[in-house]
Amino acid sequence: MTSIYDIHDLTVAFGGRTVLDVHRLAIGTGRLHILTGANGAGKSTLLSLLAFLTPPTSGKVAFDNAPVPWGSPSLFRLRRQVTLMHQFPYLFSGSVFDNVAYGLEVRGMAAAEQRHRVAEALAQTSLTGFERRNALKLSGGEVRRVAMARALALRPRVLLLDEPLANVDHETARLLEELIATLPKQGICVIMTTHEPNHADRLGGRTIHLVSGRVVQADGAAEGPEPVAIAAAPVHRIAATVSTL
Amino acid sequence: MGFIAESLATSAALIVSLDPEVFATVTTSLAVSSCAIVLAAVIGVPTGVAVGLHDFPLKRAVITLLNTLMAMPTVVVGLLLYGILSRQGPMGPLGLLFTPSAMVIGQTLLAVPIVANYTVGVVQGADPRILPTALTLGASPLQGVLQLVRQVRFGIIAALIAGFGRIIAEVGVAMMLGGNIRGYTRTMTTAIALETSKGEFAFGLALGMILMAVALVINLFLNTLQQR
Repeated sequence: MTSIYDIHDLTVAFGGRTVLDVHRLAIGTGRLHILTGANGAGKSTLLSLLAFLTPPTSGKVAFDNAPVPWGSPSLFRLRRQVTLMHQFPYLFSGSVFDNVAYGLEVRGMAAAEQRHRVAEALAQTSLTGFERRNALKLSGGEVRRVAMARALALRPRVLLLDEPLANVDHETARLLEELIATLPKQGICVIMTTHEPNHADRLGGRTIHLVSGRVVQADGAAEGPEPVAIAAAPVHRIAATVSTL
Repeated sequence: MGFIAESLATSAALIVSLDPEVFATVTTSLAVSSCAIVLAAVIGVPTGVAVGLHDFPLKRAVITLLNTLMAMPTVVVGLLLYGILSRQGPMGPLGLLFTPSAMVIGQTLLAVPIVANYTVGVVQGADPRILPTALTLGASPLQGVLQLVRQVRFGIIAALIAGFGRIIAEVGVAMMLGGNIRGYTRTMTTAIALETSKGEFAFGLALGMILMAVALVINLFLNTLQQR
């Protein structure tokens, strides 16, 4: 299988401070990839970059073997293949249906198809019957599930999840965990961040570990199409490949 | 005291009887200010959204300019536009001076800085997750900005109401550009100034009461919005 993302000599800097510095990273399709690292390691920045929301300061990012056209007005077409669920999701004012259907509406999908997709996504997240509920009056766990339904309704090729299991009740965490584990089987590439070291084992995913913006460990990298160099910290421009096999 | 009470009674009678002159003056005021606020919304809201969303070298200067223009005396705007619209001015041939159109132009210029400035504040104060959320769900840049505007719509409506409150109550532009022509460009504020100077205190008071009622309705609407 080919990589869906190929990153070369990438840096992202904010205010002159480099927060991400990745020499080589390839991320494959249809797998679960788990990004780990301490606070400030660059996990959220990497997700934002992979969602095409944050452009790199330098370096190259390819999606589907084509360079990402950063700054181009057509970037949103690429963005439509990927969706990011924020750690603290923002729900738009309106109903749960309005929120879950938003991404479908901006794609110009017919109303009947929208209703079908929304119902399907709400069922996946155990939210059937929530369609008319006011999105701004939901509990924290329900907000997370609506955000997940909103992402799933789009049937993205890549689903980026920023700490999806943090700060939610046990029941919601269990439901989301089970759901996330099934997504790669549907051909969705899932990349999620977590602080929990045992999530990779439980969910069967591969781990990409970040330290100070650099990839220091990528499990299963040896299976990748490219040679991999993984060094111990302190690290300078670590090369890593996360395979798609 | 008797004079005030007598004037209040007369003014109440003028309002209740729907006095044609009072009615025409109120209608002109509301029509001119409504047209002006619509134009100000068309210019000011996109300007405010653009300034609020983007960082550019002269951003602070633009915001300072908008702040300054918000405080610009209405007679100064009236004076400048009088020069432009008068027969010797660059737009003199259009014959707009002393017409409701001239008043609309003047009041639009008064309202745009208020609407734009308030919109800048509303956009800058909006939840920073709105735009990225819309974009990651597949919105084009324009769709994303429209969603942002939808999410902060109550703040933008409040900006429009603040602008409307300013122009419905102004007298400088209406007097200098409208000319206070009876039944044509006479507004509540210019009529109050004129009728009071003529000694028609009751008539002025009637219009003043209506103006206060308009201000009250605007404030009630604002309060309702803020509670949502």
